[in-house]
Amino acid sequence: MTKFFKALPRLIKTAFYSLIRHLAMAMTASSVVAITLTVLSLFLILAGNIEVVTDSIQQDLQIHVVLKSDVTAEKELKDSKEAIENIKNVKKVKFSNKDQELELMIKERGDAFKIYNGERNPLSNGYFVSVKNVKEIKETTEAIKKLDMIKDAKYGGTSVSKLVSVLDAVHSGGIIFIGLLSLLAIFLIANAIKLTIYARSNEIAIMRNVGAMNWYIKVPFMIEGMLIGLIGSIVPCFITYFGYQYIYELFGGRLEYTMFELIPSIPFTFKICGILIVGSMLVGLIGSMFATNKHLKVNR
Amino acid sequence: MIELKNVSKKYKNGVHALRDVTLAIEDGEFVYIIGPTGSGKSTLIKLLDGEEVPTEGSVIVEGVDVGKLRHSKVPLYRRNIGVVFQDFRLLPKLTVFENIAFALEVIGMNKVDIRHRVRKVLELVSLEDKAKSFPNELSGGQQQRATIGRAIANHPKVLIADEPTGNLDPQMSAEIMELLEKINEVEKTTILMVTHDSTIVDRFKKRTICLEEGYVVGDIMKGGYIKRD
Repeated sequence: MTKFFKALPRLIKTAFYSLIRHLAMAMTASSVVAITLTVLSLFLILAGNIEVVTDSIQQDLQIHVVLKSDVTAEKELKDSKEAIENIKNVKKVKFSNKDQELELMIKERGDAFKIYNGERNPLSNGYFVSVKNVKEIKETTEAIKKLDMIKDAKYGGTSVSKLVSVLDAVHSGGIIFIGLLSLLAIFLIANAIKLTIYARSNEIAIMRNVGAMNWYIKVPFMIEGMLIGLIGSIVPCFITYFGYQYIYELFGGRLEYTMFELIPSIPFTFKICGILIVGSMLVGLIGSMFATNKHLKVNR
Repeated sequence: MIELKNVSKKYKNGVHALRDVTLAIEDGEFVYIIGPTGSGKSTLIKLLDGEEVPTEGSVIVEGVDVGKLRHSKVPLYRRNIGVVFQDFRLLPKLTVFENIAFALEVIGMNKVDIRHRVRKVLELVSLEDKAKSFPNELSGGQQQRATIGRAIANHPKVLIADEPTGNLDPQMSAEIMELLEKINEVEKTTILMVTHDSTIVDRFKKRTICLEEGYVVGDIMKGGYIKRD
């Protein structure tokens, strides 16, 4: 181990030298890395934003429950609330009394309904129910409707729940796609590095001939792989950072919908860049380790 | 001390390269190994170098059973023996100086000692003025001298040379031979040289071991090329 640390500065120097001496090869590998990472970053940004949008829609989507007009006693209200809470998909039940219901109606349908204010309020008490899984909101609504004391239950409409399930599908599809893309990135990066090592398998054999231990041969290649990964992630990081900021300012500033708010660029792009840099360096390291191992084993 | 005890080597493709070879080479000797193509000369070198494992018998160099070494330990063993290859095997992206220094770097020698030793070696192989040249800028003879320099840099007890004059013209060959003799005398290195250059064997007379179809067919101390009709 002490030998290793004693040799480390020299090994790092060797890695830098061979990177420069095989510059064309290193650049080829780095650009493969860069292209793969750019595509990967694009999908990470997309998936991250879709997730946030779906989440915010899901939070907005609630079931509006209207109680029968004769349900006013405290015990009945409590019972009905508990009955709703006992349904599997229900997350939260919020009480809304007659007056609040009317206010909502006035807000939605216009000031004409103001005449019902006070004693003349014909509405009954109600609840706002939020659910755990929006995809099952229809079933949950039906279940609430079947309960006693409930006059009606409605939710934001089929179009919204459809949008949510579409976004959900896009999101989980995106996750799978990112998974596959990551695998592809690992494969491509490892292969690009393998290529640079393959071109030097002769060199590896000579090193062993002269008495270099396996780790002594491997470490510079591993450092070089990491450097290739690092160099390859520079351009994608710039594209991610500035590109996202540009898009954010283009849309985020103008679209007033809270539903389609983009994730603020600062911590988000930094996180993605972090993933790209660390990921590609790790892949470079592991990829070159395996590739060198393979070439070490060819000759005794 | 190099000892081969009843060594046989059969390759996977069925070629029987060596058959029941028993040899002993004392420290400080200079030995030729001669024989026609396919007689097992290269296999013998590969066994000594640790590149191949004998099918039967044992190869013992300086007390190490070469055939039983683990893959990861082979390089450690090679630090005690220097090998000169017919195809030079210099690292193409390193200068002559760096190539020789590399053999010392891998054994963990410190920088100052490396510089001293490399200068000395360069002097010994008469390449002082080519220290900063890359291998492809050198002639065949110069490259071979650089390889020899690298092989002897860390004072190996044994130097194995695989047809060191194979690619060279007679005059350069003689230069290389003189260099090897010098190393044998000055550094007391045991030298094993594979060749089929009869003029060299006749001119620089040494112990000569003759291989044919995997058998040792001759081992004469006074030297000279053995011809069997």
